[in-house]
Amino acid sequence: MATFQHQRLTPWLLLAPQLVVVGLFFFWPAGQAIYQSLFTQDPFGLASTFSGLQNFIDVLHDPEYLAAFTVTILFTLSVAVASLCIALLLAVLADRVIKGSRFYRTLLTWPYAVAPAVAAVLWSFLFDPSLGRISHFLELVGVHWDHHINGGQALALVIIASVWVHVSYNFVFFLAGLQAIPKSLLEAAAIDAAGPWRRFWTITFPLLSPIMFFLLITNTTYAFFETFGAIDATTAGGPGGATRTLIYKIYEDGFKGLDVGHSAAQSVLLMILVAALTLVQFRYIERKAHY
Amino acid sequence: MRYRRPGLDVFSHLLLILAVIAFLFPVWMALTAATHSRTDLYTSIAPLWFGSEGLHNFISVLTEPIPGVGASASTMLLNSLVMSLGIAFGKIAISMLAAYAVVFFRFPGRALCFWLIFMTLMLPVEVRIVPTYQVVADLHMLNSYPGMILPLMASATATFLFRQFFLTVPPELLEAARVDGAGPWKFLWDILLPLSKTNIAALFVIMFLYGWNQYLWPLMITTDQSWTTVVVSLKQLASASDALVPWQLVTAMALLALIPPVVVIIVMQRYFVKGLVDSEK
Amino acid sequence: MATLTLNALKKRYPNGHLTLHGIDLKVAHGELIVIVGPSGCGKSTLLRSIAGLESITEGDLWIDDTRVNDKEPAQRDIAMVFQNYALYPHMTVFDNMAYALKNRGIPKQECEQKVRETAKLLGLEELLERRPRQLSGGQRQRVAMGRAIVRSPKVFLFDEPLSNLDAALRVQMRLEIRRLLKRLGTTAIYVTHDQVEAMTLADRLVVMNGGQVEQVGAPLELYSRPATRFVARFIGSPSMNLITLEATTSPLAKHPLVRDMPAEPMEKAATLGIRPEHLRITDPLQALFRLEVEMVEPLGADTLVYGHAAGIAEQIVVRLDGIHPLEESAQLYLGAERENLHFFDVEGRRV
Ligand SMILES: Nc1ncnc2c1ncn2[C@@H]1O[C@H](COP(=O)(O)OP(=O)(O)OP(=O)(O)O)[C@@H](O)[C@H]1O
Ligand SMILES: [Mg+2]
Repeated sequence: MATFQHQRLTPWLLLAPQLVVVGLFFFWPAGQAIYQSLFTQDPFGLASTFSGLQNFIDVLHDPEYLAAFTVTILFTLSVAVASLCIALLLAVLADRVIKGSRFYRTLLTWPYAVAPAVAAVLWSFLFDPSLGRISHFLELVGVHWDHHINGGQALALVIIASVWVHVSYNFVFFLAGLQAIPKSLLEAAAIDAAGPWRRFWTITFPLLSPIMFFLLITNTTYAFFETFGAIDATTAGGPGGATRTLIYKIYEDGFKGLDVGHSAAQSVLLMILVAALTLVQFRYIERKAHY
Repeated sequence: MRYRRPGLDVFSHLLLILAVIAFLFPVWMALTAATHSRTDLYTSIAPLWFGSEGLHNFISVLTEPIPGVGASASTMLLNSLVMSLGIAFGKIAISMLAAYAVVFFRFPGRALCFWLIFMTLMLPVEVRIVPTYQVVADLHMLNSYPGMILPLMASATATFLFRQFFLTVPPELLEAARVDGAGPWKFLWDILLPLSKTNIAALFVIMFLYGWNQYLWPLMITTDQSWTTVVVSLKQLASASDALVPWQLVTAMALLALIPPVVVIIVMQRYFVKGLVDSEK
Repeated sequence: MATLTLNALKKRYPNGHLTLHGIDLKVAHGELIVIVGPSGCGKSTLLRSIAGLESITEGDLWIDDTRVNDKEPAQRDIAMVFQNYALYPHMTVFDNMAYALKNRGIPKQECEQKVRETAKLLGLEELLERRPRQLSGGQRQRVAMGRAIVRSPKVFLFDEPLSNLDAALRVQMRLEIRRLLKRLGTTAIYVTHDQVEAMTLADRLVVMNGGQVEQVGAPLELYSRPATRFVARFIGSPSMNLITLEATTSPLAKHPLVRDMPAEPMEKAATLGIRPEHLRITDPLQALFRLEVEMVEPLGADTLVYGHAAGIAEQIVVRLDGIHPLEESAQLYLGAERENLHFFDVEGRRV
């Protein structure tokens, strides 16, 4: 790689803004989280005492934390599986139709632009117990819907809203992946007399599996974090903690409950979890693309 | 292509159109609800067609302080706009400079800087949200645009994308520029910046959406209501009173919150797809 | 116009690889120097060190009376034409050519005038508003030339500028470059892989090998008096026959032409070189050796004959004028003039 020589100051000037921002708002807080996770603070934040791993032990024994963990897993799995399946189906269809595939792409990707919080509000209007179209329809088929009271229904609502937003994201990747498959491959299979169904499962699907894996990880991080808005704007973690995910609990404990030590311990645990996920993703990318 | 089947094509179109309608459905219901008065809404179930109160509803959210929030939607739209543009341009600017330094210069400490910056790829802001709040409070940046914008810029996605792109620039271009008398800043401005136009546009779309749709961070940091963004205010509006939800206003607000990013994504569709696919690789 | 002086120039890459082992070279005003050598011998490195794109590890580089070792490329007043042209893709041809001038703060009017003059010289007037991607390979090459010429630099540097063109275009551009350079009278250094390019363009030819200069001289001088075995083999196509002489076993060594060499050099002589085109059919008495023909390649204008001779390990190539209907396994008695025999000692130096 060609580079500039005899430049001592310039690269530092160029890097300075990013280093300052990253230092102030990434490393400092991340360090604080680790530091605080090792201390117990009194409720007024006036004094703190070193308590080793006590915060972590507390957190891991807290039934609410374990409940939040279960909710998170349930929520994440549902969002990931549902949005991946729907997106794959739509992408395969949109890839099939030669005419109008751009048209469909535009009409199927715009929900990505909608904030999860906004999406959740829109859907909670459809499911509004007194005037929602869908809850009304459900009433007709004998299901009484009230996500303010029913925990399962509350979780279902945030899942539906999150899926609605995220299908478009997966769709973009699947469509790009499908369009990158050489047509000659499918033609060869067609000559070998494989029907469309067989062609899909024996050729298209295996070729898409790297994208699938990648999306599985990004969908997981999406469900972990970005859906906070969807939850807060509609159910606020309730009813009875039915929609309280890990990130929501960190927010509640640390920001509302002012329980800094335990919130920090949770942050650190989540950091480790996410870092591990990301590392898996990096390794996989490294294997795929030899830079 | 010989292996096409007309029957299957019709079926595909049918399903796709169904999906398009399903995607549009919530927005359509919001549109119709936003054009009715509250009394109209609560007399029956949500209407499928427009009413006559649309103008009134929109004018009222845009001009009057919103119950439970205290600011009008226009103030909040402005806040959202400043925040998302700030994040988009700020991130593009600092990332491009940093990537430029990492790719086109050799200096002691380069590898360390590289890793410091790229470590941020691993942890989204949400994970360290509480300590970040404390840091921003310590810096007296609560209820301010810098406080809303800067912490969300602390991520290397854009730096990574620029780095990938810069590595594909032929080295001879830099050499030609050096022979032609261009120093580092001139090369950046005259050659690299114009060459990065597409990448910048793609990143802009992604970052604008990212900024506009932020929820948790602006929620925490804007304790003074006049700094709230549109997306955040929705909840406060919906849960303002214990009585019936003012859906005609909530849906109007929701529409205001989703129209700008949706317009951006549709107008800049090509860049959006590129930005999404590239920045995630 | 300028002179260029290289004084024991050394280049070591940061990874420790010593690429140039001390190059000495003096280039006169307006001279066109062509550098040839096998791949990886350091041609580009040398050129780029002269340009200032690579730092010089040791030694001095002078342009006229200024030592330029520590000057930035732009301050050296050189211009470079790259193998892949390195045109700025987002700029028009005009802007590409004007960029260096603008960077030097030359007034707009003068800039424009210079660019138009150069464009006219190169036949680019019609293309000034186009972008590089709208040009053919040959046109891009011309723009790259134009970008160098427009600044009227002291020295032109070319790194295999024609290697991305097809054969016909290469011949045409070769002639054009020669014409242009002689007309401008600018000092130039030209790196190439192509023998014909090297022979036809050069005022003087530099043959490099393994980071060292093997020989410098006029092309025909290098052809007729190669200073080393390496140069002998490198210049000329098909390349020179190099025959190992082992005084005792080889009948060739007893031939009067070889035997009558002055005694002292003869003792040191380890290799005899004869160009294929200098071998001719002669009578058995005067012949250097008898060739057993193994393969014949009739090329029309001449015929290449390959074969072996008794007592000689190497395969011999002969180039005969015109058409020769030769059978395989035919026998040819071959001889050569005394002045066309080259002797090299064990180290490969000419004696
Ligand atoms: N940046 C570098 N770092 C380390 N070694 C290098 C670098 N550039 C070139 N080299 C080495 O220096 C030697 C000379 O390279 P150079 O490019 O000058 O050869 P060349 O004669 O131009 O070859 P070619 O005819 O293939 O262009 C090679 O062995 C090469 O591997
Ligand atoms: Mg080279």
